Amino acid sequence: MPLDLIVVTPQGEAFSEVVEQVVLPGTEGEFGVLENHEKFLTALKPGPVEIKLPDGTTEWAAISDGFAEVTASQVVVLVDECFKAHEIDLEHAQHTRAEAEQELAQLHENLETEEARAQVEATLVRATAMIEVHGRHHS
Amino acid sequence: MATLSDIKRRITSIRSTQKITSAMKMVSAAKLRRAQDAIESARPYAQRMRETLEEVGSAEANHPLFEQREEKNHVEVVVITSDRGLAGAYNSQVIKATQLLVKSRRSESSKVSLTIVGKKASDYFKGPRGIDVSSSRPVGPKVTYLEAKRVAAGLIARFESGEVDEVVVVHNEFLSMMTQPVKIVPLLPFVPPQENPGEGGKKEDRAPYEVEPNAEKLLSALVPKAVEVELFRALLENQAGEHAARMTAMENATKNTEELIEKLTLEYNRARQAAITSELVEIITGAQAQE
Repeated sequence: MPLDLIVVTPQGEAFSEVVEQVVLPGTEGEFGVLENHEKFLTALKPGPVEIKLPDGTTEWAAISDGFAEVTASQVVVLVDECFKAHEIDLEHAQHTRAEAEQELAQLHENLETEEARAQVEATLVRATAMIEVHGRHHS
Repeated sequence: MATLSDIKRRITSIRSTQKITSAMKMVSAAKLRRAQDAIESARPYAQRMRETLEEVGSAEANHPLFEQREEKNHVEVVVITSDRGLAGAYNSQVIKATQLLVKSRRSESSKVSLTIVGKKASDYFKGPRGIDVSSSRPVGPKVTYLEAKRVAAGLIARFESGEVDEVVVVHNEFLSMMTQPVKIVPLLPFVPPQENPGEGGKKEDRAPYEVEPNAEKLLSALVPKAVEVELFRALLENQAGEHAARMTAMENATKNTEELIEKLTLEYNRARQAAITSELVEIITGAQAQE
């Protein structure tokens, strides 16, 4: 029984293919899914996704936080954003990360900036995940 | 009576207006198609989110965002309009509905304030209308999920802190090219989707999901997302509705300019004929006088 991986974002279906194995960044740690996995639901944190295709190649993608719904023959990943490794613009991601780091350094422990801080942190996490995925893809 | 050159000038000016309106119609048509595609693309995500929420909601039904408060002291109304005008009654119908809603809510709640998305509504409510505006932002050239997320985060934080007891969204719904009715939807407290009773039997046969870390934690991550999706959908509908309304408005405007041009051309031809006739009369009378 093959395993279908479906990644759905609000912008549409980002990925839908038969895969051998997929490794997802769960909030409780990374976990791998092979076919005939037990049915389960979990939250995901932003990070890299490792997708092993039936032909033996490995693809990488960066996702934002979301959820995964695993059944015996299907993995449905619900995330805000998903970037495949070859779609990632490394320079842009590095630039975004540097900017976010700088901004974060300027935002001190100020209650009013809490919301802004959360936003910048989210950007930072995203950019970091993208850089990591890009690195693994090219190594 | 207007002179020949006057009429001619008017015809030229109306022609250039016509060029603008028909170009705007074409642009709106293209944008509408893209907006409809965006709605279409967002559908599977919303659908799956709903299913997941049902799944988790059946195991755990408590979440701060579900809390129905008896006393609604502060009602927040989210108004969504477009950034630009020239779209017929599109924006004014939302603004009108908002004013009515605020008026009716004021009788039961001590405070009603607005969260505005769209320049048209912010321009309108900036004036002395006697309604508090807690925040306002433009829609921007393209609706993004991130934007919906930001608006949702602000609303959720204010609901959780107890500052706001209810959140209602007013926006246009995109039904078809011709109809974009105003829709008023409650956003918070969030009503969890109910399992379809028709499928009840089937559902029991299915093995339940193992939930990690636990249902409560998962739900607390899911519910804000569901609120974001709801808001994102409203923004997308608004975007599509705006272009549909503008397209219709511009089509009517183009038709009107055509009618006007026709009328003026007739008038122009009449005036020209009258001028020729009077000239002829002059020549003939002159010739007769010489005989």
